[in-house]
Order: sequence, then structure tokens, then C-alpha cells
Amino acid sequence: MSAITSSATSSAQATGERAAGPAIPVGLRAASPVILLLVLGFLAPLVTVAAYAFATPKSFDVFRSFTLANFAAIVEPSNTVWTSFVWSLCFALATTVLLAIIAYPIAYGLNRMFGKWAGLVSVLFVFPLFVSENVRLYGWVLFFIKNGVMDGALKWLGFSGGPEVLYTPGATLFGMLYVYLPFMLFPMSLGLAMVPRDLVDAARDLGAGRLMIWREIELPLAMPGILIGMLLTFVLGAGAIAESKILGGQSVITIAQDIEIAFTYAQNWPLGSALALLLVVIVSGLALFMLSKLDLDRILGRR
Amino acid sequence: MKMSRRNLMQMMGAAAFAGPLASASRAFAARETELNILCWEGYNSAQVLDPFRSGHSATVKAESLTNDPTMINRLRAGETKLWDLINVNNPWARKVMAPAGLIKPLPRAEFEPFFDTMLPNFKAPYRWAMSEDGKDLLGMAQRFGPYSFVVDTDKISKATAEEQGWNLFNDPSLAGKYGIQESDDWNVFNIFLVAGINPFKTHDEAEMKAFSETAAKVFKGAKMVGDMASLNQALVSGEIDLYMTGGTYSVSPARADGYPNLRAITPLKGPIDGKGGISWIEITSTVNNPALSPLATEFLKYVQAPEIAHTVAFAEGTFNPVSQMGNPKCFELFTAEQLEAIQWDTLEEDMARSAEYDIVPDYDKALELMTAAKRLRG
Repeated sequence: MSAITSSATSSAQATGERAAGPAIPVGLRAASPVILLLVLGFLAPLVTVAAYAFATPKSFDVFRSFTLANFAAIVEPSNTVWTSFVWSLCFALATTVLLAIIAYPIAYGLNRMFGKWAGLVSVLFVFPLFVSENVRLYGWVLFFIKNGVMDGALKWLGFSGGPEVLYTPGATLFGMLYVYLPFMLFPMSLGLAMVPRDLVDAARDLGAGRLMIWREIELPLAMPGILIGMLLTFVLGAGAIAESKILGGQSVITIAQDIEIAFTYAQNWPLGSALALLLVVIVSGLALFMLSKLDLDRILGRR
Repeated sequence: MKMSRRNLMQMMGAAAFAGPLASASRAFAARETELNILCWEGYNSAQVLDPFRSGHSATVKAESLTNDPTMINRLRAGETKLWDLINVNNPWARKVMAPAGLIKPLPRAEFEPFFDTMLPNFKAPYRWAMSEDGKDLLGMAQRFGPYSFVVDTDKISKATAEEQGWNLFNDPSLAGKYGIQESDDWNVFNIFLVAGINPFKTHDEAEMKAFSETAAKVFKGAKMVGDMASLNQALVSGEIDLYMTGGTYSVSPARADGYPNLRAITPLKGPIDGKGGISWIEITSTVNNPALSPLATEFLKYVQAPEIAHTVAFAEGTFNPVSQMGNPKCFELFTAEQLEAIQWDTLEEDMARSAEYDIVPDYDKALELMTAAKRLRG
């Protein structure tokens, strides 16, 4: 890299000597391919979606028309699409809270208890990520379905059969907990790994109880990881669709599904884009609000 | 050439920029060996495409989607430059794509003779393959089938299901025992039929109100809404007894897997000029691509051959009758089990009792009402 930097610097100097105009900083020029790639690959689709949100409904007049009709249609009192937003956000919130409770002991175990088995345990948690989400969810359908694994096993053991869990909002939540567990677990266990053992020992020597150590030392120091895990889970959960479709049997309609319907059966890309944009605004707004309330500086121990 | 980290990075950068441009220029230049197909699942299978690929040394890309509006939308959004063939259900070519200039007519002299060897209903000039004025041949017909609902005949007999027809979904005793396939365009047809209304006409306010109420009731009573694999699985396991929008297209894989008790049903009667069933016929057309691949018409001829037509009928995922079964050379390739899977025994009468898929003039409004009704499930 030093070769690149030195040659870039010398050429910058040469340019500076030749041209009197404002010179583009070397760093910016060196980063220009990456910036261009990000603008093309990341920003351009987002801008297009945003532009579609303001296009004439049921048209492809993107960048050629401007109207708020799509948003007006969404907030119209007769439109019940708000229920989809509520379901998605509630599912995302429930998933985040439940996973924080479920993943914390596992992350703690990975760092403190499992010792030489920690690697194996983490591989077990990562392994499902190599298989498509849909395939894994269909696997759960076969587990829960009538005369499936659970029902069949219970009948074999002499019970009257398993409870009816498939095609309910509960099954959707279960699917989300299952799918998003790794996204909570790994940032959280990284966060917990940042807690120095010495600090815990020192606190104990000074007479702190287990609860106090957890509250005053472990939790604050692990908070960056926990927060990142919660944020990831919430953002992914708000856009979840496969769980409610496959396990939930569409017993509730999530907002991602409404967006999908708008883009497919309804042939209304502007409406779909407006819904998508609204979801982005709501989710990022909520996430930023939560982060601002949580006082990152104190959590990160900078104060 | 000596590789250093620096020139490796330069090459990577150059490749990143040149890659997409190179393929773009290829797209404009050498279309002779390239074919892009937008289709329903089946045509994208390796069994169908591989012999064509090797026979023409061609790069064939096929993308499968499972609803017509999305495919037509893709062309409308400017993808006519990308695709060579589009395979959708019958009304779209003559009623929407041709008037909108999204597809090109086929040379009649070259393609019409193929219709002569097809099943009797498909003799030229075949209505759905022709333009509205009857002058242009807009595409070729191949797969088709009745598509109303599917029952487990161990639970509800074929005779009862045919006699009751769509009223089954009005029966309170069946609430919680049926599923609905997530093909919303077809569900719009079906909700109209359950309400006793012809879907393929403009509807007045009272009819739309009846539609909305029926949609709310039918979706509320559904045990599940899902894709056809999930629905077949639920039928096999006993979670549900029947599901709507279904036909040979959706149930044939389960029948071929050893569940002949699952059966596509076509009601005896209904509100579409007396007919209660709906059928579909796929029409494959050449896209109005400024640089249309010459392989597009070659492919349309290729799938007419008896062996390939049989492969198309039994491509992975879904098994269907094909119009080429009118040719004895094609028909003899079907085994008794395959004919059983596609319900050949009642195919003719099922098709006769079905109205052909058509466009609902006020589909947008109906879809909106149905989407709202779906939300009442939760």
C-alpha cells in the first residue's frame, strides 16, 4: 500500500504544481472507485425507490412525475394498511426483546462456561445460516404439521397428538425467533467478550454481589454488542416476510407482504415504493430514537 | 507478467468496471447465441433447456415467476430490451401486450401449421394466439389446464365437490378446513365466483360490496394461505380438506407422488354464462425486443417436437397437459401414471365446464378490497 500512497502523493504534488484550482484530496481520489461502486450499487437503488414513491400511482413515470398521491392513499382512513405496519413492528419488537433474553445466557455461556466447547457451540449456531431460510422454515412446517414429527412422536408416545400451532401468529413469532437468533447472539457474545475478567474479579473482591456485578460491570461493558444485536434483529424483523408466509400461513399480513403485493399482483410500483420508504423512515427513526435515548457515550464508557 | 499487489488491484478495478460493460456490449452484438426467456416455472428447467443449449451452442437464461402481472410489468418497466420470449396466460397477449407494443407477431405461414397437429380446441386460427383483429399470430399455445379448486376426495367426494362447486367455501361447517393459494389474481376470480358473480365483467357497487363481504368471510375461514407446495403438504397431512385456486397445475405433483385421492375439481355450473370453472392456456410470444434473438422463434419451434412437448408437460415442479397431445406421436410418450397425474380421464369435460382465463376490468379495485379483507384475518 505504501507504493500506492507514495506514488499518489507525488502525482498529487505534480498536479498541484501544474493546476492552481482546488486539488481533490488524495484520500478521496484513492477512495473514488469504492465511492462510485457504493453510489451505483447502494445509493442508486434507494434513490430510485424513493423517486418511485413520488411517481404517479400505477405508472412507471419515475423521475418524470411528482405527486404525494401514494402517501395520501396510505394514510386514507379507509386504508387498513396501518395494521400491517403495526403487526410488523410488534413482531420485530417482540422478537428483539425475547431474543435478548434468550441469547444473553447463551452468549454468556459461550464466553465463560463452555470452555473448549465454545467453538463447537458457535458453529452449531452458525450452521443453519448455510441453509436457505425458506428451506429451514419448511423444515419446521414438517415438524409442526398434523401427523408430522411432533404430532407423530406424541401420538407414538401415547398422547392424543400435538397442539395446533401452525398457521398462527405464534408460529410466525417462533419462526422469527429461530431465524434471527444468530443475528442477536453473535454481536452479543462479542460484546460480552469485551468485559475484562479482571474487572469482574476486582468487583467481587471489593464485595459486589452477582447482581451488582452484572448490573454495574457486565451489562454496561457488553452494551455496545447487545445494542448492535438488538438493532440488527429489529431492523431485519421489521422487514420479515417468509416466517409469516410459511409458518404463519399468512394468518397476519406483514408490511413486507403488502409491499410485495403492490409490486406484483397490484402492478403498482409507486405504492409499493411509498410503503417501502415509509417503512425505512419508521424503522430508522425508531432505531435512532432508541439509540439517542440510550446515551451511547455513557454505555461506551467515554464519560 | 509480474504480479504485484498494486497491479493486481488495478486489474481488479478494471475488471469491476469492464465486466458489466462487456456483458452489455455482448447483449447488443452477439444475440445469435443468446436467448432470454421470462416464463412460468417449467420452461426454465434444465430438462427443457439443456438440449436446446447444446443443440444451438446457445446461452439460454430463463427466469420463472408465478404470476402474470409481474411478468408483464417487467416488460412495461423497460425490460423489452432484455427478454426474447414471454410465456403468460391466454388473455394478456391479445388484450394487453400486443396493443401496448410489448410483443411482436410471429410469421403465420411458418407457425400456423403447428396448430393443425394440436388438440381439437387449438385449431388455427386459435383465438388466444391471435390479435384482436384476427390478423396477427401473437404466440404459440402449449400447456393448459383447469384451475378452480382441489379437494381430498377421501374427505369430500368428487361428485359432491362438483355439485356444490364454489358453495363449499360458503359452507360454515368447512370453515377452518380449507386453504387458499397465494395467487391473488386467481383469488379475485374465485371470490367473485363464491359470491355467485361472473368475475370477467365490470361490477356495480352492490356486486363489489358482495365481493368484499365474501372475501372477508372466505379469508377469515381459511386455515392457511400459502404456496401450492405448502397446500399440497397440508392436504396430505390432513391439516386441510380442500384448497382454492388449484387445478392440475398445482395438484399434479402430489398425485404423481402417490396421492391420487387429491383431485382438481371443476364445478358443474356457475355464474360465467353457466360455467363455474376457470381454465388457463399459456401463450408464448416473442418480445418486441429491438435486438430480438433469432433463437426466439427457433425455441418456439423446438418445443413443438413431440419429445420436447412431453418434457415440457412433465418438467420439474408442475405437470400439465400440453396442446401437442393432439399429435399421436406426442401422446404415446405419456405413461398411464402420467396421464393419471394430469387427470386426463376428465380433462376434456373439465375444460368444457371451464370459462377461459380473462381479464377482470375492475381488478385493481377488487384486489384492494381483497387485500383489506386478508388483513382482517389477524
